[in-house]
Amino acid sequence: MKRLLSSITDGKGFDIALVAFPLGYLFLMSGLPLLYNVVMSFQEVDMFSLGSFWRPFVGLKNYRDLFAQPETLPILYNTGIFVAASIAGQFLLGFGLALFFWTNFPGASWLRGLFLVSWVMPGLVVGAIWNWILSGDFGVLNFLLRETGIIDGNIFWRSDPNFSLWAVIIANIWLGMAFNMILLSVGLSAIPKDLYEAAELDGANAFQRFWTITLPMMRSTIGAIISLGLIFTLQQFDLFAAITSGGPNNSSNVTQYWAWDLSFRQYDFAKGATISVIMIVFVMFASVVYVRSTRHEVRG
Amino acid sequence: MTLQIELSGVNKYYGAFHALKNIDLAIEKGSFVALVGPSGCGKSTLLRSLAGLESISTGDLRIAGDLMNSVPPRKRDVAMVFQTYALYPHMTVEQNLTYSLRIRGASKAEMKKAAAEVAATTGLSALLGRYPRELSGGQRQRVAMSRAIIRNPKAFLFDEPLSNLDAALRVHMRKEIRMLHDRLGATSVYVTHDQIEAMTMADHVVVMRDGIIEQQGRPLDLYDRPANKFVAGFIGSPAMNFIPATVGADGLSLVTHVGEPQTIVLDRALDPGRTVTAGLRPEHLHAVDAGQGTFRFPVGIVETTGSATYISTATAPEITIVDTARRSIRAGDVVELSIRPSDVHVFDADTGIRL
Repeated sequence: MKRLLSSITDGKGFDIALVAFPLGYLFLMSGLPLLYNVVMSFQEVDMFSLGSFWRPFVGLKNYRDLFAQPETLPILYNTGIFVAASIAGQFLLGFGLALFFWTNFPGASWLRGLFLVSWVMPGLVVGAIWNWILSGDFGVLNFLLRETGIIDGNIFWRSDPNFSLWAVIIANIWLGMAFNMILLSVGLSAIPKDLYEAAELDGANAFQRFWTITLPMMRSTIGAIISLGLIFTLQQFDLFAAITSGGPNNSSNVTQYWAWDLSFRQYDFAKGATISVIMIVFVMFASVVYVRSTRHEVRG
Repeated sequence: MTLQIELSGVNKYYGAFHALKNIDLAIEKGSFVALVGPSGCGKSTLLRSLAGLESISTGDLRIAGDLMNSVPPRKRDVAMVFQTYALYPHMTVEQNLTYSLRIRGASKAEMKKAAAEVAATTGLSALLGRYPRELSGGQRQRVAMSRAIIRNPKAFLFDEPLSNLDAALRVHMRKEIRMLHDRLGATSVYVTHDQIEAMTMADHVVVMRDGIIEQQGRPLDLYDRPANKFVAGFIGSPAMNFIPATVGADGLSLVTHVGEPQTIVLDRALDPGRTVTAGLRPEHLHAVDAGQGTFRFPVGIVETTGSATYISTATAPEITIVDTARRSIRAGDVVELSIRPSDVHVFDADTGIRL
């Protein structure tokens, strides 16, 4: 008994205790709800059976029903577009900004800090601001496009089914760009300066240096940021709630918003859980990529 | 001899800071030049200016006769070996070596052949497939040099390349670099803060301090006839002893002001009564039997290394003597010394200029 006690204050017992607390917390707060969600996707759930865990098991019926619904495939397609366009926009603009601030002109670090404002703001607030910018009649975006001659008539970003998804994508790119920029800036500054000098003396011009030094040295950072981007865009809910509410006619609806809509507005908990399970698979895939890319750091 | 690198009136300013002051330097084709000096003396700035990594503010820089002032580094055709080696961590040794060829658009076969040839001369043949992180310090050093050699550049620039190696390897690589230089018939500029490296490797040593060239010349000329007190103290190990003294009434001797006044004979005449600093190299001071020396000091510390005995006197300033004769001298003894008149250096007490 004494040995057991002393091992807790000094030895293996202490290590186990240190690990046990966060693991217990993770299991309780993340693991259990996740499992509960998976179980629910195989059950028949309604308002009356919501309180009990032992509900009728229906196998894959929820999944079959879900894919029989006409809106499912368009919404999955929307989700794909939303994720791909958001990540591409956030990454490319973020990388561009990171490279821009990397030149270290006077005030660069101060300005870079200012960019973080977008990341600090709540999604709902960002959504409200973009509602004004995107507004069809008096929005500043339409004004700019019209004055520069790119469009002739106003685009009703939020109510036109051809543009509604893109309205949210534009706002989401703005929201995530700063985060991309900061992580990529860190990656850029971790590349030793003398590598560039060596490459310069070896005859490489600026483009060749970027292609043969910067990009390969940034591989793990880029892998990490794209998988984080996938996770964050699949989580993006506030902007949909604030800008389009998934409409009109599901033209801007995505899985994460639909799951909430089904569960908590239509009270079809089983289907909401089913969609969540499908999303879990995607996020797990992204997590594996993230963990692997941060593990394979190439340094000196 | 043709000049490979030529600097005339080169100045470099960082804002108000004057980093290089009116540098004139001519480097002959095929010579090995060492830039040496304490940290912050401008030697690295000078080297980086040759490479084009720093721009010079005024003056002319010519490489192989062409004005290079505003030519970007990649068009100067000089190769640099960095202190940190600056190997590309994401490339294998072979890819590191052939990077410059790949940039120039050489064919795969061409690159493979060139890499194999260079690797054979630097002993890297077995390591071509490895990544830099899998190499030892000495091997990385070799890769860095091979990467320079493969280009057959107009000049090799070395920026303290041996400072990250341990002492034994440093001595070994010193010889290896010099042998490579001779075999390639290359022109090399070598920056170091270690005067031993400069003396042993170079044909021509440039001693710098605070952005100016204090003295340049062949290593032994610098050792035998240092132009001023700074160069005298910098070149040679252990460092030269400096003793305050006055020129005697006959003008052919010095009266030292360390402890009791004592007399050192000179081989040339100076103004009688002038206040000077006498410079005596530790290896030129010979401990002799009682009655045979010209001056004597109480002994403070005796350190024996086997090959030589380092005797430090109990005086202020302390005087160091290197004795190779294994005399039984102990702390507290009085050591009697002699020095050849031609080995006595005399510097002006105020300006430090050689007299």
